[in-house]
Amino acid sequence: MDTLCYALAVILAGGILPLLLYRQFKVMKAAAVIAIVIGSVLGLMAIPPAMQDTGPPTATWVWQQFLPLTFSIDSLSLFFLIPIFAICPLAALYGYHYMDKSEEAWRIAVNYFCLSLLIVSMVLVVCADSLITFALAWELMSLTSYFLVVHEFHKKETRAAGYLYFVFAQAGAMCIFAAFGLVYGATGSFAFEGLDQLSPQLKLAVFFLALLGFGSKAGIFPLHIWLPHAHPAAPSHISAVMSGVMIKMGIYGIFRVYTQLGDTSLLPGQVVLAAGLISGVLGVVYALGKHDLKRLLAYHSVENIGIILIGAGLGMIGVATGNRAMAVFGFAGSLLHVLNHSIFKSLLFMGAGAVLQKTRTRHVDHLGGLIKRMPTTGRTFLVGSISISGLPPFNGFISEFLIYFAAFQGLALSGVSFLFASLAIISLAVIGGLAAACFTKVVGIVFLGEPRSTGAARASEVQASMTLPQLLLALLCLVIGVFPAPFVQLAFFGLRDMALIGAVEPGTGQALIGDLAFAARLFLGILVGVTLLRRVLYARKEIASGPTWGCGFTQPNVRMQYTGTSYAMSIVEFFQPFVRIRTAYSGIRRIFPSTTTYETRVDDIAEIGMHRYLLQPLVKILDRLRWIQHGHIQLYIGYIVLTIVVLLLVF
Amino acid sequence: MESLVSFVLALLLAPLFPGVINRTKAFVAGKQGPPLLMKYYTLAKLCRKGSVYSTSSSFVFRMGPTVSFTAALMPLLFIPLAGTAPIFSFHGDVIVLFYIMGVGRFFTIAAALDTASPFEGMGAAREAFFSTLAEATIFAVLILFYRMSASLSLADYFHGERAVSLAGPTGALLLFVIVAMFMVLLTENSRVPVDDPQTHLELTMIHEVMILDHSGPDLALIEMGAFLKLLFYSVFITHLIQPLVPAGGPVVNGLLFYAILTLVYVAVGITESTMARFKMNLVPKYILTSFTLVFFAAILTMGFMQ
Repeated sequence: MDTLCYALAVILAGGILPLLLYRQFKVMKAAAVIAIVIGSVLGLMAIPPAMQDTGPPTATWVWQQFLPLTFSIDSLSLFFLIPIFAICPLAALYGYHYMDKSEEAWRIAVNYFCLSLLIVSMVLVVCADSLITFALAWELMSLTSYFLVVHEFHKKETRAAGYLYFVFAQAGAMCIFAAFGLVYGATGSFAFEGLDQLSPQLKLAVFFLALLGFGSKAGIFPLHIWLPHAHPAAPSHISAVMSGVMIKMGIYGIFRVYTQLGDTSLLPGQVVLAAGLISGVLGVVYALGKHDLKRLLAYHSVENIGIILIGAGLGMIGVATGNRAMAVFGFAGSLLHVLNHSIFKSLLFMGAGAVLQKTRTRHVDHLGGLIKRMPTTGRTFLVGSISISGLPPFNGFISEFLIYFAAFQGLALSGVSFLFASLAIISLAVIGGLAAACFTKVVGIVFLGEPRSTGAARASEVQASMTLPQLLLALLCLVIGVFPAPFVQLAFFGLRDMALIGAVEPGTGQALIGDLAFAARLFLGILVGVTLLRRVLYARKEIASGPTWGCGFTQPNVRMQYTGTSYAMSIVEFFQPFVRIRTAYSGIRRIFPSTTTYETRVDDIAEIGMHRYLLQPLVKILDRLRWIQHGHIQLYIGYIVLTIVVLLLVF
Repeated sequence: MESLVSFVLALLLAPLFPGVINRTKAFVAGKQGPPLLMKYYTLAKLCRKGSVYSTSSSFVFRMGPTVSFTAALMPLLFIPLAGTAPIFSFHGDVIVLFYIMGVGRFFTIAAALDTASPFEGMGAAREAFFSTLAEATIFAVLILFYRMSASLSLADYFHGERAVSLAGPTGALLLFVIVAMFMVLLTENSRVPVDDPQTHLELTMIHEVMILDHSGPDLALIEMGAFLKLLFYSVFITHLIQPLVPAGGPVVNGLLFYAILTLVYVAVGITESTMARFKMNLVPKYILTSFTLVFFAAILTMGFMQ
């Protein structure tokens, strides 16, 4: 616990130093990066000793005599600390060259300040030991991340995206606080321990309110609307932290509330699983339909949150039906996917940021051929793409396999649970296929082929501080894929203090993981063999190069390449009416046609639905109340006095 | 040892069977057709040649054939062949294998997009879409098999204690699986009615258009990979049909296996001769039909097994 405090202090120093040093642009950035990296390494060093302790160490800090803030660390907190301390320093390092406008020094200093506060607040969220501590840390996290999103506040769409994020964060927080309020109302204490004393109905109410609130942070469909707006607006290393780490705090919240409630009824699991299925499939379908690189990645976060929730839902159903193997593998797969997703998603956002910095465009159909111009970014992005598609021998496959395994255990159940388990399997298969389709699109259109614009043609590789984090993350993807055993053990360790599941016997799944590792190594081994065979076959052969064969067409140009839009269209069309496709075609009218335009957009039904059925009626009602807002300050004071008087009279 | 011999034999025979398809098609059309060993000649010819690479392409293009060949080879190491146990097997290997085939597909598609050719992009888009749908069918089959045999490995499906078999108590359900897997075989291996392996230079194709720019040994690897993949799916179906003759010993079982395997290829040839290719927008319905068949069978197990 002490090391952890030092770590937080160093990270916080990394946020405050830039505010003092902002006149020396490079010194400021270096100070911030070094402090955040050292702090995070300290934080990582604090984890192994804490893993040995069985009793959770507690720290209490009384603020203002009436607010005891208590912190403690159990296995679940420790597990979530890993992505925080592993990803954030890499993002900070990446930001060193990404934030390269020295005329914006002050703004960048504030950015580092908020980033360090965000890291600290996330650590506090996972270590919070009482409802009130959790709520404060949660709010701090939401606020700092809001300021990080609106870094480029001079742009109108950034402010709009920030506002949207703010509304969702606060509405979500409101649901969480309502859940906490219910708990406080019933138990009269802010301790987490009191949660399992509630009556079954109250438990369900608390769980679903919390699910709503945490779901809006995590990005469960249809509460994901802020993600595809906020991520393109935020700087790329901030997107990496937010998508890789911060939205996982929503998952942590769901895990924490579920564990503390100790509810073993079937309904929560079914709802979580259903939410996971919907988020997973629709997330990836919308990702296919989007052509803004960062927006697409944001939708993939929705998809991966879906996969994580499928695992968690299976685990909860396993607990409810007494199917231990299903519970253990479901939760472990879910936790491991949290870690894996934080690795490959931050890698992909960093790749997208590098592309954005060098080409000044996020639209995939304006890019192309970048792997020749940005070799490191291209190769690491390729690794990230294979990992996120859940393909072996990379890390995404390991966690998806665990979730598959849990679902197959669930097939032994009868009735509705069987149906849920089989739906989970089929959805995972479809999600995997679609994710592969989407990332072949991204890799194929952005990095392969020929550049489609001058910006893409002139791109060059980014500096070392930006490629190094990408290389490290790509390496991690491969290491977890080929040597999965310690990481799976880590996920099992994360379940240690979840009383509902009970102790996980040592050696659970060891044979299985060994086999997985064997398969990955066998694949790599054969691949090396075949590569050597190919080399032998090509020995002393004539190798020529020429233009791509145009099937007889002699004047090909780069605009004739297949675009991302056409690549994805048939798949997206298949998923109508869950996806709205809007096309505007001017048509050919006269004998000598003038310019024609064709435009197609994929609209998010959640966005349309929320606008039509929630926002518009709300605005209509609130419009009637507008007379309350008139700008006379004395009347506002009158309102306050009146409220207090009424409250005093009533209670 | 026995397994290894059987595996090598299957590898050597893999290019023979597409010849069977071609001979069947020729027979139905009343033609003489190419010799049975034609594919061997093609492979030998390709291996002797050099390659021409597009200036648009990168290292991904050169990796494509290698990865797709490896991905096609892996499943044959895990499936029982001709009555012998597979070389490797573990609980859960089916999931790994179908995902490894996904890696092969990923690189085939990426290599196609690497050429900057609009034709190849079109083929790649179709491959990505249709194989995703086929994956749903495959995993529905895995669900059904788990219900029937409580196992997750190819060896246990076909040779385990509770092996799935037409003669078993739930054998009738396998009829659905045979039909569905045959449909998946046609889809995944780019045969009629989904794709037409014969028509070059048609915009409406999938596999052939994706490999337009490959040449020489790279093309040989792709071709061989395609033969192996076709062999894997055919072996899968063969196991569903084949009755085990316990008294027969390895020779009888092996011969029976290869006889049924040949019949599967003949069935592909006959389908190809008697059917036209679907319009592309009908293909999803076709694949979903196979999914529905299997999922229906899986739902039926809820009644059988309670």
